[in-house]
Amino acid sequence: MAKKKWIACVLILFVCIMISGCWDMRELQDRNFVLAVAIDKADDVKEVETFVQPHGSKRYRVSLQILKLAAGAEQKDESRTFIKSNTGESMFEMIRDMLGQSSKSLWFEHLQVLIISDAVLKEVDLGEILDFFKRDSEMRSRIKVYVTSGKARPIIEFSPPSKEPGGVFLANLSRLHLKNLHVTASRTDLGYTVQHLDNKSDVILPRIEMVDKVVKLGGSAVFKKDRFIGYVDEYAVAGSKMMLGTEKSAVVTIDSPKTPGHQIVFELFRHDTTLTPHVENGSIYFTDDITMYGNIGEIQGDINVNDAMDPEYLRILEVAFAEEIKRNIYYTEKVLKKEMKVDAVGRFASKLKAHEPETWEQVKDQWDELYPTIPLYVSVNVTIRNIGSHK
Amino acid sequence: MANLEVKKHMSAGQLAIVVFVTCIGAQIMLTPRGLIAEVKNGAWISVLLGGMFFYTATYFMLRLGKQYPDETIVEYAPRIFGRIGGGIVIFWFNLLFYMQVITIFYGVGRIITFYMFDRTPPEVVVLALLVVCTYCALQDWGTILRIQQFLFVIAYSILILVWLTSILNFQPENMLPLWPLDIKGVTLGSFTTWGMYSGYECVLLLLPLVYRKVSLAKLAKTVGVAFVGLSIVFMLIIVLTIGVLTVEDAKNLPFPSLIVIRSVELPGTFLERLENYLLVTWIPVVFDTLAAMMFFMAEVCMRQWRHADHRPILLMLVPIIYIGAMLIDTPQVNEILGKFTMWLGLSFSFGVVPTALLLTWWKKSKVGKDCG
Repeated sequence: MAKKKWIACVLILFVCIMISGCWDMRELQDRNFVLAVAIDKADDVKEVETFVQPHGSKRYRVSLQILKLAAGAEQKDESRTFIKSNTGESMFEMIRDMLGQSSKSLWFEHLQVLIISDAVLKEVDLGEILDFFKRDSEMRSRIKVYVTSGKARPIIEFSPPSKEPGGVFLANLSRLHLKNLHVTASRTDLGYTVQHLDNKSDVILPRIEMVDKVVKLGGSAVFKKDRFIGYVDEYAVAGSKMMLGTEKSAVVTIDSPKTPGHQIVFELFRHDTTLTPHVENGSIYFTDDITMYGNIGEIQGDINVNDAMDPEYLRILEVAFAEEIKRNIYYTEKVLKKEMKVDAVGRFASKLKAHEPETWEQVKDQWDELYPTIPLYVSVNVTIRNIGSHK
Repeated sequence: MANLEVKKHMSAGQLAIVVFVTCIGAQIMLTPRGLIAEVKNGAWISVLLGGMFFYTATYFMLRLGKQYPDETIVEYAPRIFGRIGGGIVIFWFNLLFYMQVITIFYGVGRIITFYMFDRTPPEVVVLALLVVCTYCALQDWGTILRIQQFLFVIAYSILILVWLTSILNFQPENMLPLWPLDIKGVTLGSFTTWGMYSGYECVLLLLPLVYRKVSLAKLAKTVGVAFVGLSIVFMLIIVLTIGVLTVEDAKNLPFPSLIVIRSVELPGTFLERLENYLLVTWIPVVFDTLAAMMFFMAEVCMRQWRHADHRPILLMLVPIIYIGAMLIDTPQVNEILGKFTMWLGLSFSFGVVPTALLLTWWKKSKVGKDCG
């Protein structure tokens, strides 16, 4: 009898343990979903947005964009997110201290975008800023990382007219980078940026700006290793994308050969781009062979003069588009390689390392000095396959 | 209670499955970093060479077992090395399983608490897994074998399927140069893959169940197929890890395989955070490895102490395993133990087993001569 009682007790205890729920259970409504993080310099420290620090200084202001978990009817035209900020030096310490402003735990598993003000990057290396984000287990590799020349907090305060949650909207801005030559978003998210930093490669990140309640992505912030050195414009970004073949579609414009002052537009549908390192008698050079196939996307000026049905004229246009693409790539080479001395995302170094490993072993220690002197020869071949739906 | 699951025989195919399942275990998550850091782009070659080395070691074991068709190493080791020498070999053999089991428990506890249950203490995760594995290992070999066969089909196929989603981020150029400059490093690196292939030593215990039914040649062929499968899986892990992360990134990450999966984004689906799916499918894989190894430990002790039942011994081993896993409290200790276990395993496979085989042949040839 006593044995049965013991068994019953153990069973009850076992059932209690098994049905009492998960140890790590956190209800959805008990979490504050952080969608975007903005990192600024802490210019003016508000008393409530700070804490006593045993070490360091009030260096950064971190702002979190948090999703409002309210029913649709309650929100109507309000923003779907709200912002909390804090100042300090350690990202982790600031975020934990922010729990003092939050009734629920902060949840970063759905973080979409990280925006860093260049004022911060002029003082601190990128690696230092990203360390918390690459280390924490809640962060995703595909978090978008942007740089802004102004303050970062107003950008995450921006409420999109489409009523999407701000962080989701900001992250989605870069999703169409394959069609937009002006946005560098291929291999620029948190995972890839950390990868470039680990490989000691130079980094480029998309630039985001907000003017008069308009947010726009375009151009790039450029880093020598993890040190911010400046921005490049959209034209240089377009050149780098075509040089490395990271675009899927593109729009290339030229001045009309027959009606100067008017533009003719080529729409890229498919390309085959090969960047190849060569070593001859100890000297290194790269060739970039580009073949593009596409469409006439737009003709400004008189379409009778710019006759898209004339095969000879199309040949002239193909050559003109090829020249323009070459000019664009050489412009990028001038800006990135010769002026900034930056190997965009280490692509040239990795090509040499991959295809000429013995040469790479010899030059890797002097690569930074050597790279700007290495010639690049570009050849472009454009084929116009279609003229659109109209002559 | 009648024991319905006592297993007297198994086929060569079943042995191959046991070797595959016991070897693969936790190491797909725990080992890649060290290997990639050491061998860099040539890690895939090290994995293939490792497969060949450890298959050779397994072949020696099969040859040794053939000399004693109805016995396990526990019975014939004292006859080869003497009572004390044999005792040391058996202890060595069992220590190998013990060291692997505690380092696997430690690694699993660490990964699960970091990536899945951050509020649960690792002690609790390890304890829960230990309870489940003990329950399985308490069964007789027939039941364990059936579980291994079942999980071989279910868990591994899902695990590999989830893992293959990382192809979406694969950059072939990260693998280049395919043929590394440091050939010596690649060759030495192949020995460090012992952590991946370890577990094949179980054939020394299981051969009596197979030998009366199967010839050595067929057994060697079937176990060879298991090693081909293992090499493919391990190569897939290494190639995708380097292809997605690059060598330099992978060597900075404690668990690169998880970061590889974490980087996968399946557009337009509700599936997110694929590392959780990978972990969920990895847990049964670890479970069957641990359960088998715990059974082997208890079986060795049972035979050594001439008991009829492995169960009381297993229950006695459970606290020792738990304490061992808990004593590894830092990654540094784990790394030192890992290296110690690797040398223990390598010297067993390439020292003790060939010596035992040579001694057996020598003794047999002597007997033949004495008979005239």
